[in-house]
Amino acid sequence: MPTSPLPKAAFMVLLIVVISVTSWELYLRNKGMKISYDDGKELWADKRAKVYLPSDQATVFIGSSRNKYDIDAPTWKKFTGESIVQLAIEGTNPLPIFDDLANDKNFKGKLMVDVTEGLFFSLSPYNTGDPKEKVQYYKKRTPSERFSFEVNHVLESQLVFLDKGHYSLNALLETIRPKSRPGVFVEPLFPEDFDRVEFSRQDYMTPRFESDTNLQNQVKGIWNFFRSMSKEKPLDGAPLDSVLATVKANVDKIQARGGQVIFVRTPSSGPFWAGEQMGFPREKYWERILSTTGCKGIHFADYPAVANFQCPEFSHLKRSDAVIWTTNLVEILQKEKGWMFSHMPANN
Amino acid sequence: MVFNSYTFLVFFIIVLTLHNLPFFNWKTKKINLLLASYIFYAAWNPPFILLLWLSTVIDYFVGRALYHQENKTKRKLLLVVSLIGNLGMLCFFKYGTFLLENFTYLVNAMGMDFHPAKPNIILPAGISFYTFTTLCYTVDMYQKKSKPVAKLLDFSLFVTFFPHLVAGPIVRPPQLVPQFETPRKATQHQLMQGLLLLSLGLFMKVVLADSMLSQSANAVFGSHDKLATLDAWMGLLAFSGQIFFDFAGYSTCAIGVASCLGFVLPHNFLYPYGAIGFSDFWRRWHITLSAWLRDYLYIPLGGNRNGKYRTYFNLMATMLLGGLWHGASWTFVVWGALHGFYLWVEKIVADFRHDKVKAIAVTPAGEVGVLGPVPEIFKKKTLTNFFLALLTFFLINVTWIFFRAPDFTSAWRMLTSMFSYVPNGAMLLSTLSMIKITVILIGVVIAHWFMRDTKVLTVAEKMPWWLLGLIWTVIVLLLVLSQESSSAFIYFQF
Repeated sequence: MPTSPLPKAAFMVLLIVVISVTSWELYLRNKGMKISYDDGKELWADKRAKVYLPSDQATVFIGSSRNKYDIDAPTWKKFTGESIVQLAIEGTNPLPIFDDLANDKNFKGKLMVDVTEGLFFSLSPYNTGDPKEKVQYYKKRTPSERFSFEVNHVLESQLVFLDKGHYSLNALLETIRPKSRPGVFVEPLFPEDFDRVEFSRQDYMTPRFESDTNLQNQVKGIWNFFRSMSKEKPLDGAPLDSVLATVKANVDKIQARGGQVIFVRTPSSGPFWAGEQMGFPREKYWERILSTTGCKGIHFADYPAVANFQCPEFSHLKRSDAVIWTTNLVEILQKEKGWMFSHMPANN
Repeated sequence: MVFNSYTFLVFFIIVLTLHNLPFFNWKTKKINLLLASYIFYAAWNPPFILLLWLSTVIDYFVGRALYHQENKTKRKLLLVVSLIGNLGMLCFFKYGTFLLENFTYLVNAMGMDFHPAKPNIILPAGISFYTFTTLCYTVDMYQKKSKPVAKLLDFSLFVTFFPHLVAGPIVRPPQLVPQFETPRKATQHQLMQGLLLLSLGLFMKVVLADSMLSQSANAVFGSHDKLATLDAWMGLLAFSGQIFFDFAGYSTCAIGVASCLGFVLPHNFLYPYGAIGFSDFWRRWHITLSAWLRDYLYIPLGGNRNGKYRTYFNLMATMLLGGLWHGASWTFVVWGALHGFYLWVEKIVADFRHDKVKAIAVTPAGEVGVLGPVPEIFKKKTLTNFFLALLTFFLINVTWIFFRAPDFTSAWRMLTSMFSYVPNGAMLLSTLSMIKITVILIGVVIAHWFMRDTKVLTVAEKMPWWLLGLIWTVIVLLLVLSQESSSAFIYFQF
C-alpha cells in the first residue's frame, strides 16, 4: 500500500504558514504600524452593551467619525474619572442609534450627540444602513458570537496583521484594483495612516499622517469625491421638521427616564467648514435642534480656545488637538452646562 | 455555533482532546460528544435545545413502539403521532408565518376583512435538517426497514451529533448509528484527512463564498434598480458560486470534523457544476437531501413504476416540495417548479431517445437520482458532453434567481436585466469584483468537469507530498489572510 502524502504535507503546511505569518507580522511592525482593531459590528455591539453602566460611570457618544477622532478617551477618563462608550459610526446618520437608545427603557445615562449636519440631516439609506445593521446585530448576537469576539480581541490585541480594514485579503486586493467602468461607484481607499482604531473605538491618525501633506491631500480628495457624488440637497420644510420631531421625541424619552442629552458641534476647518456653513446655516439647523429639543448644546465656534483648530484634512482633529478639545469639552460641560462628574479626580 | 468561528476552534480542540483521552470509556466519550453537541446547538440560541430534546424523545420511543407493535391501527396511530410531532414543529416554526400570510390573502380576496397580528416566530437553526433526520427513522421503523436503536444515548447522538446537526449531510440511522456501537478514535490518517477537509471547507466558505463573492451577489440582488446586463449576469454568477461554496463548504467541514473524531459521514456534493443534465445535477447537489426526497417522497408516491404520466406528476410534486423545504416562500416553490420542469424535459428527451431507465425501486440506493442511473453516454468526457454540462450550468443559474431573490419583483427585475436590453441600467460591480467572479467561476466549472468522476481525497492521496503541501499551504494562508468574521452559512436558515 503506497504511503499517504498527508502527514508530510501537513508538516509542510505548519512550517510554511508559521514562517509566512511571522514574517508578515514582523514586516508590518518594522514598517511602524501598530495594533488597529476591526471596527465592525462585533466591536460596536460590545460597546453598545456597556450603555447600561451607571450614569456616573460612563457617557455614551453617538454621531459620526468626528466624535471618534475628536474625543480622546484617556483624556476624558483623566478629567472626569468616567469611561466613554463610543457608539458613533463613520460616515453615518446617528438617528437609528438615537432611536435605539431612546426606545431602550434600561438606558438612563448621559448621551452626547455629535452633529455633523450633512449626515445628521440626511435621509439617504446609504447613511442609515450601517447603524441599523449594527443595532440589529447587537439585538440578535448569539452566545457563540460573543465568545468569538472575546477570543478575537485577545488575538487582535497582539497581532498587527489582523487589521481587516487594511491587511485582509480583500483590502490587499483593493490596493491593486484596476480602473472600473465610468458610472460604477467604487468606495475610495483611505490611507492606512488615517484611520487607526483603538479598542475603545477611538480613531486616530498616525504621526506620519499628521506630517505628510500627500496623505492629507489624498483624504481631502476623498471628501471632494463624496461631495461630488452627493445628489442630496440639504433638508428643508416638512422633512426637516419631521427629523427634528423625531429627535425631540427621542430626547424626551431619555430625559423622562432621568437621562441627560447634549448636542455637540465638533470642529472642522478650511473649505469644509466654509461649505458646511453655507449648506447648513447655523440658525436653520443647529439652533433649531436646540430650540426644538430644549437641550443644551456646545458649538465649537463659540469657544475661542477650540474655535480655530486646523484639521489636517479639514474634518477631524489630530490626536494632540483631540486632547485639547476633550479637555475643554469637559470643562465646558462641568462649568457651563451643569454636568456632574462624581468620580472626577481631586487634582483636576 | 458555526465552523468558521473562533468559538468553534476552541470548542473543537476541547472535544478532540476529550475524545482522545485514554481514561474515558466509550460510554463516557459518547456522553461527552452528546453534551458537546448540545452546547454546539445552544451556543446559537439556548432555549431551542428543548425542541431538539422533544424531537429526540418522541421519535426514540415512538420508533421502538412502531417496530414492535403488530396492531395495524395502533401502528398507524403511532406514525401519525410522530408525523404530527415532527412536521407540526416544522410547520409552526418554518411555515407558520407563510401559512398565515397566505390564509389572510385568501380570505381577504374572498371579501372577508381579516388582519391578524404578524406573528414573531424565530426559526430554530437547522430545524429542517434534524426534522428530516428523525422523520426517516420513524418511517424506517414503520416499514421495518431496520432495527430500532437500542439505547437512547445512541439515538440522541445520532440525531444531535454536532457535525451534521444544523446543515447536514442528512444522515440515515444505518449510516451513523452502528458507528456509535463500538469505540471509535481517528487513526492518524483519518485525522489528517479530516484536517485537510476542514481546511478546504473553511476555505470554500470563508475565502471564496464570503470574502470573494458574497458582496457582489448581495449588491446585485439587493438593488432596487434595473441593472446593466453585464452586472446582472455577474451578480447571478457570483451567487451561483457563493451558494455552492457556502453549502459544499459546510458539508466538507462537517465530514472533515467527523473524520477527525473517527466517524464517517456521507458525501453531500460531487462537483454539481460538472453535471450533464438535471437528474445528474441532483445526483451531485445536496445528495443526501435528494436521496431523502427520492426514498421518502418520490418512491412512496409511486416513482416511475406507475406509468409515464404518473411519473411526471411525481417528479413535479417532489421538486415542488423540495423547493418549499428550502424556504417558506413562493419563490422557492418556483425554484422547485423550474427544476421539476427541467426534469420533465429531460425525461421527454430520454423517452424520445428510448433510453433505458431502470425503475428506481430496483436500483441500489445512492447510485441514482430521481430519474435513475447515469446513462453510459454521459459518462465520457467528450467535448459534446462538456457543452451539455455548460448548458446545464447555464440553466441551473437561471433557477438560482428565484432561490436568491427576496420576491418576484426582484426576480423579474433580474430576469429582464439579464435577457433584455436595459438602457442606463445600474452598474454596480467594479472591475475587480468582476475579475474575482470570472476567475472563480471559470475555475469552478473546469474543476468540476475534471473532478466529476473522482473525489478530492482520492486526488489528494495520489499527489506528491510537496504539491499537496503547497496547495494546502495556499488554502490555509488565504484563510488566515481573509479575516472574515463568523458569518452564518446560508443553509442554516433552511
